Amino acid sequence: MTRLWTRLWLIIAACVSLAGAARGQSALKLPPHKKVKLENGLTVLLMEQREVPIVGLRVLVRAGSVADPAGKEGLAAVTAELLRRGTRTRTADQIAGEVDFVGGTLEFSAGHDFTSGSAEFLKKDLGVGLELLSDVLRNPVFPLAEVTKLLRQNIDEIKQQKDEAQGVIGRYFNAYLFGAHPYARPATGDERSLAKLTRADVARFYEGHYGPGATIIAVAGDFEAGEAERLLREKFGGWRSGAGAGAVKLADPPPASGRRLLLVDKPDSTQTYFQIGNVGVARAHPDRVGIALVNTVFGARFTSMLNDALRVNSGLTYGASSSFDERRVAGPFAISSFTRNATTAEAIDLALEVLGRLHEQGLSEEQLGSAKGYLKGQFPTQVETPRQLAELLAELEYYGLDEREVNDYFARLDAVTAAEARRIIREHFPRENLVFVLIGKAAEIRPAAAKYASQVEAREIVRPGFD
Amino acid sequence: MRQSPLLACLLLMLTGAPARGQDLEVKTHALQNGMKVLVHEDHSIPSVALYIFYRIGSRNERPGTTGVSHYFEHMMFNGAKKYGPKQFDVVMEAAGGSNNAYTSQNLTVYQDWFPPEALEQVFDLEADRIQHLAFDAKVIESERGVVASERRAVVDNDNAGLLSEQLWATAFTAHPYQWPVVGWMVDIENWKLDDLKRHFEMGYSPSNATLVVAGDVKFDEVVRLSERYLGLIPAHDPPPPVTTKEPEQMGERRVKVVKFAQLPLVMVGYHVPETAHPDYYALRALEKVLVFGQSSRLYRRLVDKDQSAIEVSGGLDLAFDPTLFTIIVQPKEGVAPGAVERALYEELDRLKAGAVTERELQKAKNVLLAEFYREIQTINGKANELGSYEIFFGDHRKLAGAAGQYARVTAADLQRVARQYFGEKNRTVATLLPEKAGPEKAEPEKATGERPKAAGGK
Repeated sequence: MTRLWTRLWLIIAACVSLAGAARGQSALKLPPHKKVKLENGLTVLLMEQREVPIVGLRVLVRAGSVADPAGKEGLAAVTAELLRRGTRTRTADQIAGEVDFVGGTLEFSAGHDFTSGSAEFLKKDLGVGLELLSDVLRNPVFPLAEVTKLLRQNIDEIKQQKDEAQGVIGRYFNAYLFGAHPYARPATGDERSLAKLTRADVARFYEGHYGPGATIIAVAGDFEAGEAERLLREKFGGWRSGAGAGAVKLADPPPASGRRLLLVDKPDSTQTYFQIGNVGVARAHPDRVGIALVNTVFGARFTSMLNDALRVNSGLTYGASSSFDERRVAGPFAISSFTRNATTAEAIDLALEVLGRLHEQGLSEEQLGSAKGYLKGQFPTQVETPRQLAELLAELEYYGLDEREVNDYFARLDAVTAAEARRIIREHFPRENLVFVLIGKAAEIRPAAAKYASQVEAREIVRPGFD
Repeated sequence: MRQSPLLACLLLMLTGAPARGQDLEVKTHALQNGMKVLVHEDHSIPSVALYIFYRIGSRNERPGTTGVSHYFEHMMFNGAKKYGPKQFDVVMEAAGGSNNAYTSQNLTVYQDWFPPEALEQVFDLEADRIQHLAFDAKVIESERGVVASERRAVVDNDNAGLLSEQLWATAFTAHPYQWPVVGWMVDIENWKLDDLKRHFEMGYSPSNATLVVAGDVKFDEVVRLSERYLGLIPAHDPPPPVTTKEPEQMGERRVKVVKFAQLPLVMVGYHVPETAHPDYYALRALEKVLVFGQSSRLYRRLVDKDQSAIEVSGGLDLAFDPTLFTIIVQPKEGVAPGAVERALYEELDRLKAGAVTERELQKAKNVLLAEFYREIQTINGKANELGSYEIFFGDHRKLAGAAGQYARVTAADLQRVARQYFGEKNRTVATLLPEKAGPEKAEPEKATGERPKAAGGK
């Protein structure tokens, strides 16, 4: 039993630095790294960090679930998972055997904006790791038996996940918030859409979206950059494909106006899980650091206003938090918590009251100072490992950002004043226009749910889909 | 950047050099009151991980007050003398730190992560709550609601949590591992102020604790601060030893949970010895052969070949007393748990009948080594590993010897432990069977058996 849910309150600020950093909370710098563009368009990023004999790799392919055709949700995710289920020269079983034998990891998945691969190998196995990575990215054959097997597994996985509200509420919230925008689609797909996918869909998705020009590979850890570059050229230099040249066009989703509520019935639930929010901001939004600072005070650490009110002062819940999921265009902003059935209205009322207080009172100098200290103090551990560093490099490249995201981070935090925080609260923490999603025992919580919106929709959790 | 000395030593071990545990760059210090201090300096990032391990957990509890260790862990954040309610977190976060804590069957562990400038501040905070914890009746009531919500989240509304609780409750009839760390809901509702006080008096002597500091610190400074802030806290008797031993199981035990769900779930547990037992290393290697990765025996059989399951996992945890080796199978919808069970036992029988291949054995060893490196990539992981070895193996220097222990495991060892422990008579099986929702009927609020909302705090 942990006191906090795996550090639920730590915002994942995607920036950091470390080695050779000046002591104290003075500015940190992104360690030196090298960017290489191969002739075929592949972007390679290399950062040496020699503390532990491990190499972390991060691959981003510029095609996520937003590229799924309507009705075929989950196609990007299934394609990603199938990469390691058979290539021209290796069966799924052989690939698994080779990865596991050296104690490595090699996993692919798709999010909304991009498909990502994560791998970790011991230093001595870097050659093995790059060979496997190259093979699965360049030569997958998507054997029919593997496609069929995976699709069946994933359908059951969705059902399994629906047996626990906590694991699926975000997908319901996305679907209900974003409506017709591609961000509404569950990246995992759902029970209906997965049942419709075929091997031909997967092969077509691969042909259309995977190619060196659409791919970023970041490598960080214990290696010599020159040697790694040579290996990468050897393994990926011959990759020829014009796929994925044009990324999917994506408009900013319009914010929801007014209030509406979705109630998902889970008849065995003794606790109501809820999310409240609206459309937030994009990863490259200029207010990002200010938003992170305000959100730290509001709902992203243990002493946050939300957790203080809903957990510490009232004992209504084990945790209350708020988060911005920043994507290529504006992703969701959500307040999240849970409470027993009988206190559903009390907890939601309190969350809204805290949101109101944020608007009325703004941030005090003390709150600003504390949040700045907190974000700076927690910064180094967020890119401590090769894998974290590789993820950071790839993400900066993908979003068209650079080392200033890290190098200017502390200065940008310091620059946020109380007046600036007020503006950010006004612009980015909607108070009147809110979308609510509740998962719980409808028979007990329906009356409570009805008071938050004139428009209330109901679903049963066993009904296929998240919309 | 540099390679840490801890690693250098481990590498030496792997390449066959003699054991030189004393070369580990861990410095130790003993306070007069019996608290041991371990320090590992690592200046790679400006950050510190500070852990305090107390040798008290749910195994030290009694029926009627189950979960009180975990509840007490929560109370440790709710105010002491110098730092009142909320101040532990308020001061910690303003100084750039964050914290957490966890309770297990065996231990209660407090964790702080902070920038080096906050070191003395953190010692002051820890010393205050260790010596002068306030037992405020209102705060205690409010925290009761928090813990009940936590239980609802991790047990009552999580099928795996619910079934696991039943597995342990069935496999253990005498030993305290039979009750859940979070406690039975009815006990959560009934804990009294005096239960908390008694728990504190039993478990929180400095002599019952180990302090581990890893990161951007100097050993001398940690010694000075621990002497100043923690050295004068008086020691008293440690918790009474847990003398209860689980009697040998004489036949298979089965338990069912029937509830609303879309998918069934199967958990199987076999009694195995405590961590300090020599068989620990062979069992960990066996765990890798059975469930690590898509090349593991159970994944290949159940997920890949039979396609009766979507996921397999399992293994054994660190424990002071004989514990369980568990295997968890997530069957597909509509698959009878019995079919999954039969295939699982066939695979276990195969392990007993013939030795694992050299490649499987080597894979297990490679995985264990890679997992070790992954753990010590962070100062947090280093603090956790050092503390775990100190507590469960009796000496942090055994961390350096672990690679050697794994290197010595043979295929015959794996076969022997499979035969010894994976027998039908030693087995407990828990299955969750889906029950579709009946006609919806509104139940009175009291039906959930819960207390009215706890009184508001400050």
